[in-house]
Amino acid sequence: MITRRAAARLVAGTALTAAFASGSTPGWAADKVVKVGIDLSLTGADAESAMRVKNGIVMAIDAANQGNAVPGYTFDLMTLDDGTATAGQYDPAQAATNARKMVSDHDVVAAIGPEMSGAGKAMAPILSQGDLATITPSSTNPDITNPKFAEQYRPAGKPIYFRTVTTDAFQGPNMANFMAEKLGIKSVYVLDDSGAYGVGLADAFQAQVEKKGVKVLGRDRLDPKAADYSAVLTKIKSLNPQALYYGGVGQAGIKLAKQAYDILPTVIKAGGDGVYGATFLSGTGFPAAEGWYSTIASPHLTGDTKAAEFVKAYSGRFGVSPEDYSITAYDAALVIIDAVKRVAATGKPVTRSAVRDAIQTAKVPTIQGTVSFDANGDLADRTVSVFQIKQDKASKPDDVSAQFHYIDVAPQA
Amino acid sequence: MTLTDLLLQQTINGLSLGAMYALLALGFTLVYGILELINFSHFNVFMVGSFIAMGVLQMFGLTGQDVILTGLPLVMVLLVTFAVTMVASGLIGVAIERLCLRPLRNVKGPAAMITTIGVSYILFNIILLSVGAEARNYPNPMPNVRLHINGAVLDIRVLLIWGVALVLMAGLYVFVQKSRLGKAMRATAQDAEAARMMGVDVDKVVVMAFFLGSALAGAGGLIFGLYYNFTSFIIGFTAGLRAFTAAVLGGIGNVPGAMVGGLIIGLIEALGGQIAGAWTDVIIFSILVLVLVFKPSGLFGRVAPNKS
Repeated sequence: MITRRAAARLVAGTALTAAFASGSTPGWAADKVVKVGIDLSLTGADAESAMRVKNGIVMAIDAANQGNAVPGYTFDLMTLDDGTATAGQYDPAQAATNARKMVSDHDVVAAIGPEMSGAGKAMAPILSQGDLATITPSSTNPDITNPKFAEQYRPAGKPIYFRTVTTDAFQGPNMANFMAEKLGIKSVYVLDDSGAYGVGLADAFQAQVEKKGVKVLGRDRLDPKAADYSAVLTKIKSLNPQALYYGGVGQAGIKLAKQAYDILPTVIKAGGDGVYGATFLSGTGFPAAEGWYSTIASPHLTGDTKAAEFVKAYSGRFGVSPEDYSITAYDAALVIIDAVKRVAATGKPVTRSAVRDAIQTAKVPTIQGTVSFDANGDLADRTVSVFQIKQDKASKPDDVSAQFHYIDVAPQA
Repeated sequence: MTLTDLLLQQTINGLSLGAMYALLALGFTLVYGILELINFSHFNVFMVGSFIAMGVLQMFGLTGQDVILTGLPLVMVLLVTFAVTMVASGLIGVAIERLCLRPLRNVKGPAAMITTIGVSYILFNIILLSVGAEARNYPNPMPNVRLHINGAVLDIRVLLIWGVALVLMAGLYVFVQKSRLGKAMRATAQDAEAARMMGVDVDKVVVMAFFLGSALAGAGGLIFGLYYNFTSFIIGFTAGLRAFTAAVLGGIGNVPGAMVGGLIIGLIEALGGQIAGAWTDVIIFSILVLVLVFKPSGLFGRVAPNKS
């Protein structure tokens, strides 16, 4: 829960941002500069949502600089893009290159990102060797923080992959519970987009939905670069499932939604946070997007009264509405600012490893409530929120808060 | 859905894909027949064509799929869009030939082919940087009419694809077989040197091949957008590689071969998707390898017999 004072401070911070938005001097010349690395998928199918995530970080960092949140220190951003033209979306190889770039710059004391789990799997071992902590605002694949895979993703030992969202170990199964209990489905067909996130999410969903007694009629993999899914959708149609669950991101998701609208008009369609957000809306369009269920791995924030000031300041500054992951990104930046502040207050030098240790013990009041992490870096709060797209013709078709209708928190698995 | 319905539906799916691949394959084949050049920029002329057409449709005030036209307005909008797109794409093809390939005409080895790969990436990145990377919702004024044949569904857009593809391919075939310039094209394909000696303007023939091939690719790009309701900077590569496989399967350089090859690849993709799922690409590209190893001249035989 956010305290009244913390909320006031947040609001003051955003107000300051607004007040100083046009040309001010951030910090003093004598300030030490600490850099925060950012890795997002700014090129490719998820670019639209990535930009909205980045805006959230920029707001928090600007407010910290202008409000002199950490006396004697100024924050600087090193923004890197893990999307490439050839991949058309996030590219794990580019993400690895970006991680090396951050690690090799000694001014970088912490990072935010990546947006995608496939990128996270590539970055985690490099960040671990460089002792550089990152906080992801949206990547949800559970393997990266799972101690079972510690040798692979944190070879240097200490957790360096923190999250301000929960993982697909909850996102998939909780949605399975929702669909079985609340929507009462008896049969489902499962698809994934062959990426690390999509496969993991679909696996987790499938395991739980089977436990719930729902019949899984089949499982297929989509090639995200292919244009035509009519063959597999026709096959699904012939099996006549009540629901379709898709684990994956926008590149395949948008095409799937368009073609499923034609071929499977009456089937209940659902996915994870890969089909939540502006990218999915603007690419799919109406009427094809109508009725899709999606989840996010955090509480629903943008509709929350506590976030109203943030939403207003954000929309005013960037001209677009924020997504929930704009807020989890903002919160991630707050956690880093707080960590740097606590290290600086001890009088010790602000090093990566000191900042990492400070993040590990964080208890930071943010918009989503108090953020703290478990021993592996996962968020203590495990809320998964369910949405359904219902066209609001009065609003812009890609207005996330108008088109995605919040339904409920999914039942815990 | 019964098994027959399922097969019928997958056949419809496959023929739609196939018609699109055939239109694209024709461009490979036309240029290859005359220059013995595999033109990899063709992939992305198709992609650029779909964006040009999107721009034209937007100029008519269309955005998503909310505005539906019928009757004469629909026919007029489609006719104008097809015409503008085909001419603009054709001119892009001509520009590529004139600026990037003609200076290399007499250079031996793979220089020209590698240049087309470069041009392909240039087009790809121009669209990526100017339009953006997200999949774009395509303006589509066509009514969403579906005909039911037992359990199978035939979308009216599928009929459009078949109709347009058929008209364009028949037009091309007649042009190549009957017209004066078509005859010159065939003569150049057989032996450019001899054709030149007989007074054929080879440069004009080459320009014509690029224009026609690229115009068909542009039409293919528009059809792609209308069929799938989206376009993106990345669509050229997957569709292009399949179309290239189709051209090789039919016999590269052979116009009817490209049409049949396209349909076969489309059918394999649809029926393979039913049985083999994500393994379909393995099947399609195995065909490419097998044809190249065992029957390099393809099903219908390669044109350009006197060049090797």
